[in-house]
Amino acid sequence: MKDIIVKNLDKNINLYVIPDKKFKTVYISYCFHRDLDDNYTYNALVPAILKRGCEGYEDQKKIGTYLEEQYGALFDVGVQKRGERQILRFTMDLVNEDFVGKDGLLAQALYFLNRIITKPVLEGSMFKSDYVNQERENLKNRILAMINDKMQYSMERCIQEMCRGEKYARYVLGSIDDLASLDPEKLFDVYKDIIKTSPLDIFIVGDVDAEKVATLVNNSLDLERSQIKLIPETMIKKIGLKRREVVERMDVSQAKLNIGFRTNVSVNQDEYFPLVLYSGILGGGPHSKLFINVREKSSLAYYAFARLEKHKGLMLIGSGIDPKNYEQTLDIIMEQVEDIKHGRISDTEFTASVNAITTSLRAAKDDQGQLVDYYLGNAVTEARYTLEDFISEIQKVKPEDVVDVSRKVKVDTVYLLSPEEGDAGR
Amino acid sequence: MKKVMENKLLKEKLIHMRLSSGLNVYVLLKPGYNRQFAIYATRYGSNDSQFTPLGQREPITVPDGIAHFLEHKLFEEEKGNVFEEYSKLGAQPNAFTNFNMTAYHFTSTGNFYECLDVLLGFVGRPYFTDENVEKEKGIIAQEIRMYEDNPYWRVYFNLLRGLYHEFPVRKDIAGTVESIYRIDKETLYECYRTFYHPSNMALFIAGDVDPEKIFDQAEKIIVKRSGKSEAREIKRIFPEEAKGVNKDRVEERLAVARPIFALGFKDEDSVRDGDRLLDKLIANDIVLDMLIGTSSDMYDELYEKGLIDSSFSSYYTGERHYGYAIMTGHTQEPENVADSIFNEIVKRRSQPWKQEHFNRIKKKKIGEFIRLFNSLNSVSIQFVSMMFRDIHLLDYLERLEAITYNEVLKEFNEIYRKENSCLSSIVPLA
Repeated sequence: MKDIIVKNLDKNINLYVIPDKKFKTVYISYCFHRDLDDNYTYNALVPAILKRGCEGYEDQKKIGTYLEEQYGALFDVGVQKRGERQILRFTMDLVNEDFVGKDGLLAQALYFLNRIITKPVLEGSMFKSDYVNQERENLKNRILAMINDKMQYSMERCIQEMCRGEKYARYVLGSIDDLASLDPEKLFDVYKDIIKTSPLDIFIVGDVDAEKVATLVNNSLDLERSQIKLIPETMIKKIGLKRREVVERMDVSQAKLNIGFRTNVSVNQDEYFPLVLYSGILGGGPHSKLFINVREKSSLAYYAFARLEKHKGLMLIGSGIDPKNYEQTLDIIMEQVEDIKHGRISDTEFTASVNAITTSLRAAKDDQGQLVDYYLGNAVTEARYTLEDFISEIQKVKPEDVVDVSRKVKVDTVYLLSPEEGDAGR
Repeated sequence: MKKVMENKLLKEKLIHMRLSSGLNVYVLLKPGYNRQFAIYATRYGSNDSQFTPLGQREPITVPDGIAHFLEHKLFEEEKGNVFEEYSKLGAQPNAFTNFNMTAYHFTSTGNFYECLDVLLGFVGRPYFTDENVEKEKGIIAQEIRMYEDNPYWRVYFNLLRGLYHEFPVRKDIAGTVESIYRIDKETLYECYRTFYHPSNMALFIAGDVDPEKIFDQAEKIIVKRSGKSEAREIKRIFPEEAKGVNKDRVEERLAVARPIFALGFKDEDSVRDGDRLLDKLIANDIVLDMLIGTSSDMYDELYEKGLIDSSFSSYYTGERHYGYAIMTGHTQEPENVADSIFNEIVKRRSQPWKQEHFNRIKKKKIGEFIRLFNSLNSVSIQFVSMMFRDIHLLDYLERLEAITYNEVLKEFNEIYRKENSCLSSIVPLA
């Protein structure tokens, strides 16, 4: 690996430094890996509570004041789903010291993050109860608010229907039922377990010196660690299931037609590269079959795309349509899928997709957040491809490889979110 | 007429050139970046729905949503679709229309000058037919439907309808399904001829590129396309906007989990361009941070009471003809949030914030501005949109440094008044 420097720190912690002079800020992200197990709601709640305060910065006002003083440093927490694991993230982005002529900004930020993670505001031997209650309510509201964004909601629902019975069907922010029966003692135990046993990756991107940063991180970190828990591999279903159709009714103006596929390919197989191209040719931008045939030729939708959930071996197609055009749109989409299986990929479609993917990978090097997302993905799958390696693998793929892999991809669930009235569905 | 601007603190270098056609071209040099970003924009948006077409005397009113429709249609060419050309080169093209501008842009990581040819080419080459205009209506109708289902979009547009009596900012950028069906190719050409003259446009490029080559290339393509046509003044007509708000409450029911609110304050100041507008933008950003930013008493109080959550945000918009401040987020009780904010405003009139709070927010703003230069897309779009308001983005730090607490308080006292506000809410279906 050339652009990225990886160091194994004590206590099973990996540090990834991407030194790059062009960035005006230093982006820091601490990523704790957890299995998407029965404690997933607890996992999702912990970062939100830690964000509320720590020793020295006991409430949001003090934290806000501190961040403003540091030239508007950004600080946030979050939880992401990567395959069947949750990644708990603590992120900061601060102006490089050189621009404001103030030493120590980076060191202070690392100490601040360490305190947020290790020194929460306590009552007795548990989290401060006000914070738990407020954040429990906030998390519940965020889970419920999923319905507000119909594009995201319909895709989440499609995934839940497709993966019912699998861990992957769990919503990344947790469940309302778990929150209702929340046990504060258990919550604190889960927190301690997160700190002690989670694989931890720390990413730092900016105009920094890797050696100095490693020392700073080491000096600032004060984690009580024990034996790291291995996270089970994400289960990728290798069978083609019978196509299932789900219709959900809601008071909306536009219907959402989403289709879930099993790719039967995992990230660490060689076929993954042709699969990336396959999804690009099918629905990865304005050059793609879906854009051209669903939107441009038939005027059926404003958007129609395909994307991979690479860690789970899924491909998802999404579009927003008039409900009366359900059958027609579904037919056109499935026709495109069949066309590729039969080798109908034009030179233009193929080259355009290779180019589009190359451009987005290369462009990712100019964005700190995208860089971390990419290398975090590598950390999850233990892959070793740098962005440039990935690009060269993509460029080796031949159209026949795409056709081969397309035959492994099986339709699983057709999901329609439809207005209450009308004649959509079968 | 080349001008090089360097900012030592930012470590940025910007080169400006005005071409013979009147087009302003800017190149921001970004050594080390893999991507190049180019944006070609015209000062023409959904608000420009009434104007005197080029070479005519009588003003006309065009169907709502036509600027956005035109943006979609420019991608169509006699020999096919622009997306195809871009795809061959590996560029990622896109476009957007807002109230005041229409912009076409691409990101590339190679073949930059070829991509620039495509950009300058198709934006200068309208090709509208009855058929291709008809075809687009279905697509845009679905785009409009998509936004109808977006409660965050609805709460915002409902608020603008509450704040404004007449001004076109109260209308949806994309128009309505009904209004777009009235659009025809003749009107599209009329709008194009009036608003797409190079002198009404700007080209901004950011990346590790050669400015001289860009200036030459742009000069050649544009002269070839439009000849030496003279810049003409555009006669835009805007309705007289009455003082005060149109409505102080707007509510809509949608399929949402719990209410979403947007509280807006209308700015009636008539000075709306150049440095004075830039000062206004800075002052209002500072006001909002002091009043309700994450370190404020108000934010803390509302958050602790469970009346707002981390979805809360606030911002000020200042354009040539109008301005407003918005505070928005999820809440169980929109009225209660609004009342708390009104009370806080009244309290702060007599007990303003401490000077150190003001100084701290200024510091925060410095960092925010420096961060902007990490993103080629953001800095380019921001620059052009400011330039259309006669603001030079690189003046920002200097103006920020110079602004006084009194100027900030003056904005606070003038704009943030209950009588000038509207509360828009989206509530769950019964």
